[in-house]
Amino acid sequence: MDRLNKRIAHFSAAPVLILLVAFFVAPLLVIGIYSIMPQKSFSLLAVPDFSSYNAIFVQGYLKSLFWSLVLAFSSTVLLFLLCWPLAYAMAKVFNRFTLIITIAVVVSLFVSENIRLFGWLLTLMKGGLIEGMLRHYTGVGFEGALYNVPIIIFGLVYVYFPFMLFPLMQGIAMIPEDTRQAAFDLGATRWQVLREIELPLATPGIVVGTLLSFVLAAGALAESKLLGGQTVIVLADDIETAFTYGQNWPLGSALSMLLIMIIATIAVFGISRVDIDTIMGRKQS
Amino acid sequence: MKPSHSTKIVLFAYGILAIIFLYLPLLSVSFASVSKARYLTFPIKAYSFKWYTKAFESDTVTDLVIISLKVASIVTIISMVLGFFGALAFARYNWRFRRLFQKVILLPIFFPQAVLGLALLIWFNSLGVIPTWKTAIISHLVWISPITTLIIAIRAYSFDASLEEAARDMGASTFTIFREVTLPLLMPGVISAGLFAFLLSWGNFPLSLFTTGADLTMPEWLYAKMISGYSPLVPTVGMLSISVSLFVIIAALAVVHLMRMLKQARTHMNEGYGRD
Amino acid sequence: MSDPILQLKNIRKNFGAFEAIKDISLDIEEGEFLTIVGPSGSGKTTLIRLMVGMDEPSTGEIWLRNERIEKLPANKRPTCMVFQSLALFPHRSVGENIEFSLKIRGVGSEMRREKALELLDLLRLPQSYYGKRIHECSGGERQRVALARALAFDPEILFFDEPLSALDYRLRKTLEKELKALHEKTGKTFVYITHSLEEAMVMSDRIAIMKAGVFEQIDPAREIYSRPVSRFVAEFMGEVNLIPFKVEDNGLVGPGEIMLSESVKKDISGKLKKANATHGTIVVRPEFITFGKDKRADFSVGGQVLQDYELGSRIQYEVEAIGMDVVTVEKLRVDMFDGKPGDQCTLSWAMSDCHLIVGE
Repeated sequence: MDRLNKRIAHFSAAPVLILLVAFFVAPLLVIGIYSIMPQKSFSLLAVPDFSSYNAIFVQGYLKSLFWSLVLAFSSTVLLFLLCWPLAYAMAKVFNRFTLIITIAVVVSLFVSENIRLFGWLLTLMKGGLIEGMLRHYTGVGFEGALYNVPIIIFGLVYVYFPFMLFPLMQGIAMIPEDTRQAAFDLGATRWQVLREIELPLATPGIVVGTLLSFVLAAGALAESKLLGGQTVIVLADDIETAFTYGQNWPLGSALSMLLIMIIATIAVFGISRVDIDTIMGRKQS
Repeated sequence: MKPSHSTKIVLFAYGILAIIFLYLPLLSVSFASVSKARYLTFPIKAYSFKWYTKAFESDTVTDLVIISLKVASIVTIISMVLGFFGALAFARYNWRFRRLFQKVILLPIFFPQAVLGLALLIWFNSLGVIPTWKTAIISHLVWISPITTLIIAIRAYSFDASLEEAARDMGASTFTIFREVTLPLLMPGVISAGLFAFLLSWGNFPLSLFTTGADLTMPEWLYAKMISGYSPLVPTVGMLSISVSLFVIIAALAVVHLMRMLKQARTHMNEGYGRD
Repeated sequence: MSDPILQLKNIRKNFGAFEAIKDISLDIEEGEFLTIVGPSGSGKTTLIRLMVGMDEPSTGEIWLRNERIEKLPANKRPTCMVFQSLALFPHRSVGENIEFSLKIRGVGSEMRREKALELLDLLRLPQSYYGKRIHECSGGERQRVALARALAFDPEILFFDEPLSALDYRLRKTLEKELKALHEKTGKTFVYITHSLEEAMVMSDRIAIMKAGVFEQIDPAREIYSRPVSRFVAEFMGEVNLIPFKVEDNGLVGPGEIMLSESVKKDISGKLKKANATHGTIVVRPEFITFGKDKRADFSVGGQVLQDYELGSRIQYEVEAIGMDVVTVEKLRVDMFDGKPGDQCTLSWAMSDCHLIVGE
């Protein structure tokens, strides 16, 4: 029985694994190889060199890495602070409203990222929904809120909102209600309960949400381009340029590897400390 | 300790605010799509549906819709199958590498799509494959199959293994068990996964951008026009894209509702005839 | 007579249109072990939540000594509750759980440790358990940790919400006795809720029987057992025989062919007349009924043994007497019925072993 089940499991896992090996792992390996090819070459068979990696340090690409990480970090922190109250309310306070919010958020995810960011462009630009209406009715106008760093962070927060909200909600839902109440009963204040009980017990959700938001934001491109007007260049932007206009695949690959390494370290560190079965609510068998 | 009444009101308001915030940009887009002016400013001086007419008549737009539809449909079907089996391996059966499998499956979700798209472009190039909408299907699958797996796995977690075992006890073969027990029970998960797959593929931009080659999906076209060569059709096409998504969601809900009503009607009929 | 430590005055609690607690008043003496017993839905959990501070009454007052506390939140009350689920903090060790209430009050770590070790001793857990993880502890051990945690900050009153109901019989029996011993040792006021009558009888000084949002009777166990004020209480307190009597024109009338001695007839009629009642119920516990004819018995009736049940040290019999509900008789093994199901028999018992509920 057990052996049969194991065989079924192996067969079931195979299709999606094959897909991932062929089209996820393999491309990444290729990128790895390209990263140590001589610059501007399109062949995988040349003699390896590290000129691309060298270029990263020498030609100031570290600056875009810096920006990617800083933007990702700030938006993640902001997301955590903004989402926690709502996630808490959805997990512990609201009844039917939780479902409404969930549906609203999920449906918004189905709308293409471009369209949503474009919508913000229309809303925040000079002559846009906010500024245009304001100027029309009150005569007061402003230059438009776009093309600066804060607006990029705003865009990141907007786009990755669901990716922090839902894991947090899941994590908070995992806090047993009795345990919270017992803490109050023993004399703890609201802040003490938050610090001693709620944050520690919601940790799996916090880790997943933070990880997801940070990693996705670090590799984000559209926000800085559309909303930020490229006032800062992020790493993903440089990567795209290297592969397309720059026609320098090795450089692009090296930059990609840089991003991948950083993300991988953070992701592996986070995921290893989390038990996926528990988060997904598996009943203890 | 229950939160006080005023706290509840504040939280409620916060929730409403969040929803407004989420949908405000879409409101702007919808307004823009019916503005007569070529270059958009608010307040809108004249309204017109002419951009919609232009969009429907445009060959470019038609092509976009067809390609986006082709890609999304195929991705949906394949990812549903992959996800079904993947979910079984993820949540249902205990096997040695299950935990490792779980983490591996989740990796593509955590991966920045733009970089993935570029990597796939390079890979296809190395294989000598010219990117078309067909390669886009593969790139979408890499990201979407883990998601469908996850969605079906959620359902698989509450799966009662004893049902399968009872069937086997009665002599059913593995294939029969899959068909008669496992699949029907997981079907709701498979359907919602399919829904997600379609919608995520339909709206996907970063992966499509690099892997469709000369073909263009709707999101790609929108992006290109936003960056340079702005066309007043952009908001309109955007709205079209949203409408398709909405239509699919509503259609799916309607189908589910209909099926539920059919089931109830059938049960009543059986009861009426004394059959059980 | 000392002042009560906790007073409930005309407490009412509504959830929308539903009246969970209709009108409760109660004085709890300092140091007593009071158990509130009632079927599910009677409102006992709601009541204890009001006393602990997790909810507010719709109307009414709660006084802790001289302080009005019904609006005071749980974290400001000098009381502590032991939950049914125990609600131990899974991410903290045994010692950290016990020390929690002290830690949040700013007590230093040395003093906290001392107190925790003291409590481990009191609850008869080894000192080595201080650093143990909660999931490594057995059910009974977790109970003790929960108790130690509740006692750490020296609360005035301890509340218990059915903490033993999830445990197996053996463990429950042991912990019941230990709880009683703990109560005596600490001298604190214990307020306990349960649906199990047995538990209540073993541990409590007084028992409050609750039904549909009100108290039916509040008395020591023995009182409730032998002098229940209503049919509900009588039936709730275990197997019981309820025999209805009516006063009619030709005197006292009982069911079926039950025979009463003249003195008993006069006794009952007199009591009913005094209370201006036309009917009453005689409550007699199964263990007070004997098999066999006794001419001088106050009550007797003939019948047929339907069935006997083995209860370990006792045997329970169901006897069919004409015109009456089935009579339940319980005898110790040494006094068992000399016969088998299907045989005829005569039952008799004394008035002094009965209790009359007037008016029901």
